[in-house]
Amino acid sequence: MRSFGIEFVPMELFWRTTYYSIQAEKLGYDNIWITDHFNNRNVYVSLGVIANYTDRIKLGTGVTNPYLVHPVMTAQSIASLNEVAPGRVVCGIGAGDRTTLEIVGNEMKAPLRTVREAVEVIRRQLAREKEGYEGRMFRTSPGARFNFKVQKNIPIYIGAQGPKMLRLAGALGDGALINASHEDDIREAVKQIKSGAEKAGKKMDEVDVTAYTSFSVAEKEKSARKPVVPVVAYIVAGSPSIILEKHDIPIEVAEQIRNDLANRKWGEAFGAVNSDMIDTFAVCGTPDQCIEKIEVLFKTGITQFVTGSPLGPGVRSSIDLFGSEVLPHFKEST
Amino acid sequence: MSYSELVKRIPRPMYTLLSERLLDALLEAKDGGNVPSSLAKTILYYAQRDRLASDAGLINLLRALNMADSPKVITILDELGLEEIKQAMSSIER
Repeated sequence: MRSFGIEFVPMELFWRTTYYSIQAEKLGYDNIWITDHFNNRNVYVSLGVIANYTDRIKLGTGVTNPYLVHPVMTAQSIASLNEVAPGRVVCGIGAGDRTTLEIVGNEMKAPLRTVREAVEVIRRQLAREKEGYEGRMFRTSPGARFNFKVQKNIPIYIGAQGPKMLRLAGALGDGALINASHEDDIREAVKQIKSGAEKAGKKMDEVDVTAYTSFSVAEKEKSARKPVVPVVAYIVAGSPSIILEKHDIPIEVAEQIRNDLANRKWGEAFGAVNSDMIDTFAVCGTPDQCIEKIEVLFKTGITQFVTGSPLGPGVRSSIDLFGSEVLPHFKEST
Repeated sequence: MSYSELVKRIPRPMYTLLSERLLDALLEAKDGGNVPSSLAKTILYYAQRDRLASDAGLINLLRALNMADSPKVITILDELGLEEIKQAMSSIER
């Protein structure tokens, strides 16, 4: 199975994100993922509107986190959304972004345990379990049950980057969202997901292994590469040293980019992004180049490819280009 | 003149191209926040049904872009050679 998702960051007016979602559905995308950041528009409001203007495409959080939103509320939100779009809802959940959490005074404590318990609480809530839940991070009493029934199964995807979280995603998730774009990183991630799934007695085909990439397509290579520069600057700035070393990116360069971003020196920060960094942290190029790169990624064992921000120099034209020249290559071959 | 009367003067073969140009401009307009939610939802309704290149679709696109970036409406009409429509836009009832 090969499927395609598209990520939107709800920074724009609701009707723009919704229009792009309609466009993505018409062009044959399978999933829409909406990011969940407190400083953007609310993820569930965005998904609710998109659900009203689409008919087939699956919709989900990409990803929410259990530090800012208690899992009973996540369960309630996705169950409610599932009434609007029955059988089309998925829930993506991860530990979140440490820097964003710190801004609002939240510490990312015990991320593995927190995500695991959150997924367990969400599943219990969706199943309307009578018993309460006693975890270390979360606890519910028997009275925490929903007053309404949940129609159909809601798959839970776990967003992951590090090996332990990837193994947890394989063991516990209906899907895994790999936050990477480079072939080597994704191959390694798939290995970890497989290991987690096998240890939990699951088969790999029970897990939708999803590469959540930074993506850009345009008719000309140069036009495709330019929009990814700011995104790559943030990725480099936020990457752990182990990832930077693996890709021969000097730590001091990453630190400088981080400082420049913090001081809003955009020119310096973006100017420090080189071609190797772009190739490491983004999938971008002409339609033919993108097809080639995506083919390579599917060979690592992923089952879903997500075109994440920035998508291209123009959102509408890039979605059109992907839908007309890249997607058919894969849809027709399956 | 109303938007409805204005759209009736647009040659049919221009509908698709005009709707595409108006939509592109609307999605990029800096003052997109001027478009009321109800009008935006009407446009989404027509987009979902592939009917933006209809009388109703064009009426709503013209109305919305006129709120979000009115000089752009004139530029588009000018570029598409819709001189009569461009002139008529000045008498539109907002």
